Amino acid sequence: MLVLTGVATALEAWTFNVAFMTDPVGPKALPLLVAGALVVAGARLMARPRSTVQLPDTGPARRMMLAAAAFISYGLVLPWLGFFLSTTIVVGVLGVLFGGPRVGSAVAGAGLSAVLWLLFVMVLSLPLPIGALWIR
Amino acid sequence: MDSLSHLISGFGVALQPFNILLAAGGVGVGTFVGMLPGIGPINAIAILIPVTFASGMPAESALILLVGIYYGSQYGNSISTILLNVPGTASAVVTAIDGHAMTREGRGGEALAISAVASFVGGTLSILGLVLFAPLLASWAIRFGPAEYFALMVFAFSALSSFAGASISRALASTAFGLWLATVGLDPNSAIPRYTFGQIHLLDGMDFVVVTIGLFAVSEVFQLLEESDAGQAAASMTGRVAISLRDLAANGWTMIRGSVIGFLVGVLPGAGGTIASFLAYSAEERVAGSTGRFGRGDPRGVAGPESANNAAANGALIPLLTLGVPGSGTTAVLLGALLGLGVTPGPLLLEQEPDLFWGLAASMYVGNAFLLLMNLPLVGVFVRALTIPRWLLIPGVSALAFVAVYAVNTSAFDLVLMTLFGVVGYLMRKFDFPLAPVVLGLVLGPLMEKNLRRAIALSGGDWSVLFDSPIAITLWGLALASLMAPVLLRRWTNDLPGVDAPDLGES
Repeated sequence: MLVLTGVATALEAWTFNVAFMTDPVGPKALPLLVAGALVVAGARLMARPRSTVQLPDTGPARRMMLAAAAFISYGLVLPWLGFFLSTTIVVGVLGVLFGGPRVGSAVAGAGLSAVLWLLFVMVLSLPLPIGALWIR
Repeated sequence: MDSLSHLISGFGVALQPFNILLAAGGVGVGTFVGMLPGIGPINAIAILIPVTFASGMPAESALILLVGIYYGSQYGNSISTILLNVPGTASAVVTAIDGHAMTREGRGGEALAISAVASFVGGTLSILGLVLFAPLLASWAIRFGPAEYFALMVFAFSALSSFAGASISRALASTAFGLWLATVGLDPNSAIPRYTFGQIHLLDGMDFVVVTIGLFAVSEVFQLLEESDAGQAAASMTGRVAISLRDLAANGWTMIRGSVIGFLVGVLPGAGGTIASFLAYSAEERVAGSTGRFGRGDPRGVAGPESANNAAANGALIPLLTLGVPGSGTTAVLLGALLGLGVTPGPLLLEQEPDLFWGLAASMYVGNAFLLLMNLPLVGVFVRALTIPRWLLIPGVSALAFVAVYAVNTSAFDLVLMTLFGVVGYLMRKFDFPLAPVVLGLVLGPLMEKNLRRAIALSGGDWSVLFDSPIAITLWGLALASLMAPVLLRRWTNDLPGVDAPDLGES
C-alpha cells in the first residue's frame, strides 16, 4: 500500500519537474504557482500515506482493459471505418462486457448508430465521418 | 419593483414555444439522468454542449436547456434515492435516510410526492431569491478589479476543496492538475506553446468538454464494469404517488426553512446541495425535538433536504452568473458552456444580456412547473426507466459521449484523449482524489491567469497588489476560513444517525 501511494506521489513529482522547466517570465507565473501547489500537496500526502486501495479482481480488471482498448481503438478506427460501423462494434462490445446477450448487444449497437446518425447528421447537420474506406 | 418588470419581460422570452419545449426537454432529461446511475447532470450537460453549439440555437435557449438539466436532475435524484436507497449524487444522501425508510413502510408513493412538492417549493422560492439578490451582487461586484477577481477565484477553489470531502491535500492536487491542464496549449499573451509535448493537436489546448466527459463519464463506465452485479433491483412502486393537503401543510414550514437554508448555502461557492441538505436535515431534527421520527420514515426528513438541495442548486447560479465564478464541477461546466456561447458572465451580464438572465429566471419557473407535473402523475414512467438493463444503458450513453466529444473539434484525436482522461479519472477515484476541482481548475484557469497577469501588470510588477484592497483581503480571509469550515461543520452534523460526512463534491 505504501508503494501505491509512492507511485501516486512519484507521478506528481514527475508533473512538477516538468512544471519548473517553463518558459520566460510572462507565461511562467501560473504554472509556477501550480507547481508549488503540487509540491505542497505531494509532500503532505507523502508525509501521511493513506491506507489500502482496493484493486479490482482479475475478471473485472480484464473487462475494464477490454473496454479501454475498445474506446481507444474506436478513436483510431473511426476515420477509416466510419461512424456507423465503428459505433455498432463498440456499442456491441461494451454491451457484452456489461453482461448483455451477444445478439442483443449487436442489434442495439446497429440501432443506436442509425438513430444517432439520423439525429446528428440529418437533424443537427453535424458532420460525422462516413469512413475513408468507403469513399475511395 | 424593477426586478419584477424585468422578470415579466423575461417571461416573454421563456414563453416562446421553442423555449417552453426546451425547458420541458431539459428538465425531462435532467430527471432521467438524476435518477439513473452512471450519467449524472455533469455528463449530460457536457454531452449536450456540443449539440447546442452545433444546432446554432440562441444563447438563452441553450442555457434554458442546460440549466433545466441542472435543476431537473435534483428532482430525479430523489426517485432512485427513495425507492432503491441508491442516491445518485451526494446531495441526496440524507434524503435516503427517511425516504427509503418510508418506502420500506410501504409509503414510498407518499415520500415521492413530498419530495416532488418540496423540490418545487425549494426551486421556486430560490428563483425568487435569484431574482432579488443577483442584481444586488452584480452592482456590488462591479467594483471588482483583477486583484479581487483573482482572490475570488482562490476562494472558489479553497471552498470547493474543503467541501469536496477528501483530504485537502488531495483536493489541492486535483485543483493543481486542473489548472495545469488549463495551461496546456498556446499561451494567450506570448503565443508560446506550453506542455504540448510536440503534439499539434494540443496547441489549441484541452477542451473542457473532452476532459469532463473523459473524467466523469468514461471513468464511470470503468467503475461500473468493476462492480460485479450486472443488473439492478427492479423498483417496486408502493402506494399511490399522492399526498393529502393536510399532510402537505404539515410540512409547509419545513419546506420553507429548507429552501432558505439551501439558498443561502448554495450562494456560497463550494458548499452546494450536499452541505445544504445535511444542514436542513439537522435543523429539522432540532426543530422537531422529541416529536420527530427521524431515521424511521419521518416525512420532514424528506421535505427538508429535498427543498434545500433544490434551493442550493439555484442559489449556486448567482455567483456563476453575476461573478462568473462557479463553485462546483457542474456549474463550472455551465460556465464553460456560457463562454462557448459567447456570453461572458459577470456583473455586466444583467445589463448587457437582460434577455438571457431574465429569460433564464422566468424559464426556471416554467421548468419547475413541468417538473411538478412530471413527478406527480408521470413518476411511473420514470420509475420504469430504472429497469433498463445496464448492458443497454451504459453503452448507449457511451455512444452519445463519443458523438459529443467528436463534435467538439470534429477530431478523432479527442476520442483518444477522452479515453486517457477516463483512465486518469478512474485512477483518481480509486485513490480518493476529487474530480470536481479538476474541471473547476480547467475552466477557471485561463480567467485566473488573465486576472493575475493584469493585476501584476497594472501594479508594475508589484505582487502586493493582490492583498491591497479591503475586498481582496476579505476574500483571502474567506478562503482561509473555508478551509477551516469542514472541521466545524463535521462537529455540528456528526449527530446524524448512520450518516458519514458528505463525500464527493459532485453535486
